[in-house]
Amino acid sequence: MRLQTKIALFSAVSKIIILLLLVLLLPFIIHRVALHNTDDRLLQKRDKVISMIEKQGIETFIAEGDNGAYGSYNLLKEEFISLEQINSPVQVVDMIENSLRKVEGEIEEYRVLSLTLEVDNKYYLLEIGRSIATIGENTNTLQQYALYFLVAVVLTTVFVDLAFSKILLKPLRLIIKRLQRIGHPSTFIPARLNTSTEDFLYLNNTINDMMGQIQAAFLKEKEFIGNVSHELLTPVSILQTRQENMLADPTVPEHLLVKLVENQKTLHRLKTIIRTLLLISRIENEQYLKNEAVELKQLTDEVVEEISERAEAKEVALQVDVEEDWTLQQGNESLLHTMLFNVINNAIKYNLPGGSIFIKGRAVGKGYELSITDTGVGIPEDQLPHIFDRFKRFHAADGESQGLGLPIVKTVAEFHKIKLKVQSVLGEGTTFTFHFPKA
Amino acid sequence: MHVLIVEDEASLATELVHFLSQQHYRCDWAHTGRDASEKIAVNLYDFILLDLGLPDYNGLDLLEETKQLDHDPAVIILTARGSLEERIKGLGLGADDYLPKPFSLLELDARMQAVLRRKFKVKSSVLSFHGFNLDSTARKVSYQDKDVSLTKKEFDLLHYLLLHKNRILTRLQLTEHIWGNILEDDYDSNYIDVHIKNLRKKLSAHIPTDWIETVRGVGYRLTVS
Repeated sequence: MRLQTKIALFSAVSKIIILLLLVLLLPFIIHRVALHNTDDRLLQKRDKVISMIEKQGIETFIAEGDNGAYGSYNLLKEEFISLEQINSPVQVVDMIENSLRKVEGEIEEYRVLSLTLEVDNKYYLLEIGRSIATIGENTNTLQQYALYFLVAVVLTTVFVDLAFSKILLKPLRLIIKRLQRIGHPSTFIPARLNTSTEDFLYLNNTINDMMGQIQAAFLKEKEFIGNVSHELLTPVSILQTRQENMLADPTVPEHLLVKLVENQKTLHRLKTIIRTLLLISRIENEQYLKNEAVELKQLTDEVVEEISERAEAKEVALQVDVEEDWTLQQGNESLLHTMLFNVINNAIKYNLPGGSIFIKGRAVGKGYELSITDTGVGIPEDQLPHIFDRFKRFHAADGESQGLGLPIVKTVAEFHKIKLKVQSVLGEGTTFTFHFPKA
Repeated sequence: MHVLIVEDEASLATELVHFLSQQHYRCDWAHTGRDASEKIAVNLYDFILLDLGLPDYNGLDLLEETKQLDHDPAVIILTARGSLEERIKGLGLGADDYLPKPFSLLELDARMQAVLRRKFKVKSSVLSFHGFNLDSTARKVSYQDKDVSLTKKEFDLLHYLLLHKNRILTRLQLTEHIWGNILEDDYDSNYIDVHIKNLRKKLSAHIPTDWIETVRGVGYRLTVS
């Protein structure tokens, strides 16, 4: 998952959690606030009543001869005030609490402020109440609006976060895009990053530096390959021409001719090793182009035509069953030719007289699978993981092998991103399978 | 034929001069680029064998110089660097062929003959021997107007033996010629023996082929008197 998506998800989830918490807590909080407000109002009323009693005297509320009580409700019985004379109280009361009151036959819950007063040596109980239902009504409305507001705030901040993180992470996206475009370090072009975020600048500069170092190393290696090939191949070249001139010299006696031929073989071995190592290095150094569309059927046919006489000479039957119409879009034909030639050549070399080789090609999904199966001597299981190692010689039939044929095969396959698989049963044969990726 | 060999390695140049003189070429040797540049300007060469890796000169510059001459000598590039870019550049600049070092002298001779035929538009490329005709352009062999059917490798082998007639060719030289475009890690001279056996069988259907000699332990020779 991309960083930006993760940040957006995290921001949304965390805000939704906060919102849920608020929604759960909100009724409680708002109820508390509403109660607090109600209590304040009750206290204010109490003060008003007390100041009225002080100014106007208690008679305003309770006339002599009354039953010593005063009561007043407003029309909808939302509030009431009552004042009644009591005997000397056991204790002074001044509190607010919820209590049930019967008003005109209906029982309702009220928030009631109770206070004992002493006026002219008589004791009175003042009660001011407010209907709980009324408080609840207010609370509900408040709660509803608060909820709307919170949802709006959460949505806005999520979108703002999204936009902001997108802007903040833009440099990172640019860096990733550039890295995705690189097929090989040599194609990398260092670029400056336009941002004030130091982390990204650091990242970009580091990538530029590292890539620069890799490119320098590649260039150095290329130079080295060039020098090595020149320095090694020039003396080999001199030796070869000298030997050929000696071979052509009619004065050289026959027994020396045979020695010269042996020399020539040894020199050929040296030459092959140098050329093979150079080939592998050059491929790994990306000095070969992959700019040809290679038709696999045609390629196989060409290799088979070239090699069929070797198969005949070894009395090995070549059976080709390659489905048509599959083209590797970006390939190097001559390298692929060498790759296939080496594998089929091995299949001939390690086969038994009267044996067979099956070359089978099938489109698999969007890719293509080409397999070469022989009925030869097979490869022991413990050697199988090492057959692509350079200079490993196992069961060379003729003792001439340098152990470099399969490393070439592997290098060419990797260069073309072809997956290579080998299965072998000792005494039954070996199968090499090339899995070509889709174009 | 007047040949200029541009090569800074004296030993290699000596061997080249020795070989080409025997093939009846007249040879000059330039061991530096400046030397070569002067020689090219003064003499009329038919052939220039150009080593690209010269100490004082970029070989490709020298190639451009030769292309400005009126008589247009044939150029074969010889180089040990052999990178792909150099090869493309060299052929793009008008070199007639490109031979990576190390090369076989016989291969060089064969390439030179092919270049000359192309250059001087030799139409008839038929070689005659012991009643056979080998047409190297049409890649056909016939005996008294009867086609002899040869495989590609058998034809290449016969053609090569014929180009270097009366000379012993080792199995390795023959192998390098017919399989040389492929880098394989070993060489099996038995294949050459099989090809020669088949070739003899096909040709001896017409006349005896004792003129394809086996030189024991060395190789083969095609003699034409």
